[in-house]
Amino acid sequence: MLEIKNLHARISEGREILKGVDLTVKPGEVHAIMGPNGSGKSTLAGVLSGKPGYEVTEGQVRFQGRDLLAMAADERARDGVFLAFQYPVEIPGVNNMYFLRAALNAVRKQRGESEMDAGQFLKAVRAKLKLLEIGEDLLQRGVNVGFSGGEKKRNEIFQMAMLEPKLAILDETDSGLDIDALQMVSRGINALRGPERAIVMITHYQRLLEHVVPDRVHVLSGGRIVKSGGKELALELEQTGYGAYGDAA
Amino acid sequence: MSALAEIQPYVEAFKARPRPAEPAWLKQRRDGAMQRFAEIGWPTRKQEAWRFTDLQPLQRAPFPPALASSKVTAADLAPWLYSGAAYRIVLVDGAFAPELSIVGALPEGVWLGSTAQTLRDRPELLNTALRESDTLGAQPFVALNAALFADGFVLALEPNAVLDRAIEIVHFGRAAGQSAQLRNLVLLGTGSRAIVIETFAGEGAYWTNAVGVIAVGAGAALRHVKLQDESTAAVHLGHLRVELADRARYENFTLSLGGRLARTDIHLKFDGEGAACGLFGATLLRGDQEGTIATVVDHAAARCVTREYYKSVATDRAHGVFLGTIGVRPHAQKTDANQLSKNLLLGARAAIDAKPELEILADDVKCSHGATVGDLDETALFYLESRGIPAAEARRMLVEAFAAEVIERIEDDAGMRAHLGRHVARWLAGDIA
Repeated sequence: MLEIKNLHARISEGREILKGVDLTVKPGEVHAIMGPNGSGKSTLAGVLSGKPGYEVTEGQVRFQGRDLLAMAADERARDGVFLAFQYPVEIPGVNNMYFLRAALNAVRKQRGESEMDAGQFLKAVRAKLKLLEIGEDLLQRGVNVGFSGGEKKRNEIFQMAMLEPKLAILDETDSGLDIDALQMVSRGINALRGPERAIVMITHYQRLLEHVVPDRVHVLSGGRIVKSGGKELALELEQTGYGAYGDAA
Repeated sequence: MSALAEIQPYVEAFKARPRPAEPAWLKQRRDGAMQRFAEIGWPTRKQEAWRFTDLQPLQRAPFPPALASSKVTAADLAPWLYSGAAYRIVLVDGAFAPELSIVGALPEGVWLGSTAQTLRDRPELLNTALRESDTLGAQPFVALNAALFADGFVLALEPNAVLDRAIEIVHFGRAAGQSAQLRNLVLLGTGSRAIVIETFAGEGAYWTNAVGVIAVGAGAALRHVKLQDESTAAVHLGHLRVELADRARYENFTLSLGGRLARTDIHLKFDGEGAACGLFGATLLRGDQEGTIATVVDHAAARCVTREYYKSVATDRAHGVFLGTIGVRPHAQKTDANQLSKNLLLGARAAIDAKPELEILADDVKCSHGATVGDLDETALFYLESRGIPAAEARRMLVEAFAAEVIERIEDDAGMRAHLGRHVARWLAGDIA
């Protein structure tokens, strides 16, 4: 599904942040990437999703056999890559429902599926809203406008549930969530797990992994994956901290 | 052409114009206005108010007043008609087109008619519309208009008359190389209320020179929407002179989409205390369009409120201009005025000049102003794209949102916002840099 080889990347005109990342994710797997602040976690999410402002200097990324880095951000999304933002963006004046329907129809078109009419769309929306306990009124607002921090994160998972990506990259989705919201978000992620889908969770803390149990855990430090293991590695990190992996903090 | 040579064709047109039986006072004022125009001539870029406006498209060749209207059918007008209107006046090439208009039986205390008809039946109403300022003022196009106008529309409400549904005025131009010199008048008596939507549209290279005079009486309220969607080969100059009495309310929304060269001037004066105005608008420019919004608000009375908010988008090689002056006279205490101009510059060859200005001579006032020029928000663009929305569509969505935010400032009577939104969407269907 996802194959990252010797990936080097830097902030445009800036210092190198990723210094040779290797990672392979197979369909059906859930991977957790953990690491101290400044280790390159968000840069990795940005590079994979095509966020502007990064420059790949070496290495390659293949997604379902295609050269992911050669694709524009919107193309990657239509092909099944989804990024849940650490800081979801507020877009006043763009109605949530309108936005979501445009996105869903763009993705469906790519999959060779027909566009959803208003009735079908609303039905699908209602089912997923319930899962994440999001009020329908929130969808009548501008994208993320007036949402609390927790609502924004739930909205990310709601969008993911609607778009049904093949590869979901969750960037610090657990940060800033209270325990109830964490459970709702986890429920949303678990509902999406399936043999055809891969999930990469980027997180600083272990607590999300209690609710969404990963198949593999990786430690990213200094721009490289320095250790990989099973779910028990997360517990070990919780006890020992990132000190052993060069946490600058 | 030299300055004199540019003026001469209009002097000739004035001499040669057909002369209907007009009151003596009008003839006198026309003569005075023509003389004034000949004195001051075309504005130049040395004048502050015209510094940013390139008048080339108007000066390359003369646009004498159209003497006959071209053939226009209801189907030609269909794309612009507003479904929420109760009455409609259509003017083609500057002349009333009764077969396209819907006036019918008017409520008690309401006068609605063409300017030519009003001149015949209610000449006293026109007296107001043609003051000495036309003949003495510094506005060359207003003076020229006073000399040459043949028609337009007049709406007059007697005290306490109320029109809840909109009156629609459609100005349609199709006379290539000629001009429509329109003189429009809205007079609202004490406590009366009306909604007017004025649409300017057409085909080809013509010139619309529209002058509107608006007087809102004590406690009266006028909501005025202008949809400027002229042909992109046309020149549009629209000048409004607005006077507000005690506690009057005036709201103007201008959506400006068309014209090779288009300029909307609003000169508003608070004559009475406790009145309020809202001046809002969106200008969308592409290709080599030139679009200017110029407002002058004169707080000549105490406790009046101004809310001013204009947005513009310029792409390709287009040039947008916002000139906004709010003046507060020494005795206009407790004035509450703010003015904001927000602009989107898309494409390296587009340009926007924004010049907000406050001139405050009273000490107990609340006034603010600001202007911004920027590009689309890159993080918002990426967010939309990261959900699979194609880049071009994402840009469109953000431009639409930019315009929608100011369209939401007008009252949504009978689907007005949706009506304007459809015209914005039609504009957006074209390429955006």
